[in-house]
Amino acid sequence: MSLESAVVQPAPASGASGPGRVGGAPRPGRVVLHAVLVVLSLLMVAPFVWMVLTSLKSHAEVMSYPPTILPSVWQWVNYPDALEFAPFGTYFRNSLVIAVGHTVINVVLAAMAGYALARLPFRGRSLLLMLVLAAMMIPTFTKIVPQYLLAKTMPFFGGNDFLGRGGSGWLDSWWALIVPGALTPLAIFLFRQFYLSLPRELEEAARLDGLGEFGIFARVMTPLMKPAIATVALITFENSWNNFVWPLIVTRSEELRVIQVGLAAFQQTERTLWEYLMAGTVLATVPMIVLFLFTQRYFVQGFATAGIK
Amino acid sequence: MTIRHRSVLRTVAAVAAGLVALAACGGPAPDRGGDGAVSGEISLLTPIFEGADGAAVLEEQLAAFKQQYPDVTVKPDYTSYGKLNEKLTTSIASGQPYDVMLMGAGWIPPFASKGVLADLGQDPASLGSRFFERAVDAGVHEGKVYALPIMMDTRIGIYRKDLFAQAGITEPPKNFAEMREYGKRLTQRAPDGTLQVAGLDVLGIDPRQAFLTMLWAAGGELFAPDGSPAFNSPAGVNALQTMTDVIQVDRSEDVGWTVPNSPTGNVMAQGRTAMMVGHHHFWTQIQEEAPDMIAQDKLGFFVIQDERPAMFQGGTLATVAAQSKHPAAAKALAGFLASDGPALAANQQRGNIPALKSLESSEFVQQNKAIQFAMQNFDAAHSEGGVPQWLDIRDKFKPAIESAMLGQKSPQQALDDLAAEATAALAGR
Repeated sequence: MSLESAVVQPAPASGASGPGRVGGAPRPGRVVLHAVLVVLSLLMVAPFVWMVLTSLKSHAEVMSYPPTILPSVWQWVNYPDALEFAPFGTYFRNSLVIAVGHTVINVVLAAMAGYALARLPFRGRSLLLMLVLAAMMIPTFTKIVPQYLLAKTMPFFGGNDFLGRGGSGWLDSWWALIVPGALTPLAIFLFRQFYLSLPRELEEAARLDGLGEFGIFARVMTPLMKPAIATVALITFENSWNNFVWPLIVTRSEELRVIQVGLAAFQQTERTLWEYLMAGTVLATVPMIVLFLFTQRYFVQGFATAGIK
Repeated sequence: MTIRHRSVLRTVAAVAAGLVALAACGGPAPDRGGDGAVSGEISLLTPIFEGADGAAVLEEQLAAFKQQYPDVTVKPDYTSYGKLNEKLTTSIASGQPYDVMLMGAGWIPPFASKGVLADLGQDPASLGSRFFERAVDAGVHEGKVYALPIMMDTRIGIYRKDLFAQAGITEPPKNFAEMREYGKRLTQRAPDGTLQVAGLDVLGIDPRQAFLTMLWAAGGELFAPDGSPAFNSPAGVNALQTMTDVIQVDRSEDVGWTVPNSPTGNVMAQGRTAMMVGHHHFWTQIQEEAPDMIAQDKLGFFVIQDERPAMFQGGTLATVAAQSKHPAAAKALAGFLASDGPALAANQQRGNIPALKSLESSEFVQQNKAIQFAMQNFDAAHSEGGVPQWLDIRDKFKPAIESAMLGQKSPQQALDDLAAEATAALAGR
């Protein structure tokens, strides 16, 4: 047998005659692997199941000892009650607007930046890439006060003069909720990695056909980037949806509060309303789950190939 | 590289157009006010009045305030105590603090010393005739009143009368030795050693708050008159040693038996603890979870004592920003929130203890024995803090106390290390 034939064996599709079976019976190794994966999956899903079950218990049952697994009476009313505790309709709308806004801005601008860093030769490109990578390493909390001051001193907004004095700038406005953090260095880096993986021949052929640089970016290269777009979109949406501290500190009006800030209302100093907190959290989790279900194929593919080049 | 005049002009024109467009987005600069008139739009930051119920209570009070001061508009901003510091510090860092800020006891010196808070121009002694003196003290820094108390909360001894009676104990403990002794007698373990009932629970509230209650009862102080740490004194070591011995020597409780604010329920209502250092809010929880216990008069309270009786006192106080553009309106709102009607409504909503002596006779207080007990014993109340760096120091207590209770350090070593950290914080390092 040649070395090539010994090493390069195409992976057969799983099925009755695949490597998982010997004469129709599953291999012991495969059975153990599946058993381990099932156990790990149960461990992963257990907190979520606990959350859902707690959201359906009465306050007395949540607080009872020993704790129960299944609710003795299924309290579906916890969901409408939790929604009445605070204006969650407004919170959901705000979170959705911000998350969609962040996602669209990040995908569009980061794709452009990533393309430029990957495909366009220009002076200082390496330095710019280093700056992007360095920006990824700055801890979020160290940026909050400078970002807050920038938002507050935004010229011509909120009564500010041209030097950013006198008013409140972007504070307590959609600008502060959407603009800072809309473009992330991680997204730029991911897009750059994906654009690097595309063959140069595509770009050259398009150029020979007379397409301009933006046309090559928009019509040739980016349509091949679905895994990258799905990955960046999912990560951005999730981070934006789960953001808590920034929306809390830059808003003063209840009308601009987001879902995570609303959920914090259930955690009071003297006690926590666990059943409502869990009901609200279940509802807050739904958009993420739906989004992941729709994008998981591309998402996994995206991360699997993100390190190319 | 040549500069093209046309492109430069185009760029300048675009920027100018952009600036005009941006200017259209902004409103007029706020007026400076401050002419002494009780008028203007003021902001209020509140860590209480949570949820729709709390907001409804506050809106009702603000409507009443509006009737008194029709030229003042209040914009409330709701947050929680957990995130209050972030909201306060960022707003202060930006030079745009809230006009009225509700803060906790122990928070006043840190913010007053930085010049953030306005002197309310009140006399502490005359306030003492209306409010509980210890509550007034929480708002005083260097002899000046910077905050008016709205509500207080306490950490006290709580016990099950029925379990005491079963163990042949007729009255609450009068010193640490009796606490430990009663704890041992009240503890119930299964034959295999599994804890069934903790005789003395010292883990049911924040460890810092439990330790400080014990520290003051042992006759100790947090800081010496010169502002240096004093909690590692022999009294402090005695307090922490007692807490540690309850777990490690007496085995009256196991680590992890209770966790503050966890979804494991009320240990008293469940009969899993006979005696504890607890929050007066336990009464409200038991009212909800086990009202029979209250109907059968099974719950008792005591002031923890060794060298002296002591209660830990927290609370919420109303302050005014020194930079408020409408100081008269802001002071009017702070005074209003601390007055009888609004304070009673706020305390009812939170299940807390009114700082006004006049509310002792209110129906709300008369229906809550824990609050009555706390109000009757306010002379023994102590507030934490007292130094400008307190908010930096206080978070260091929990790991230090836990390290002693887990046996990783001796109480003396844990408190000495903590004192060294506190000294560094006080020195601004």
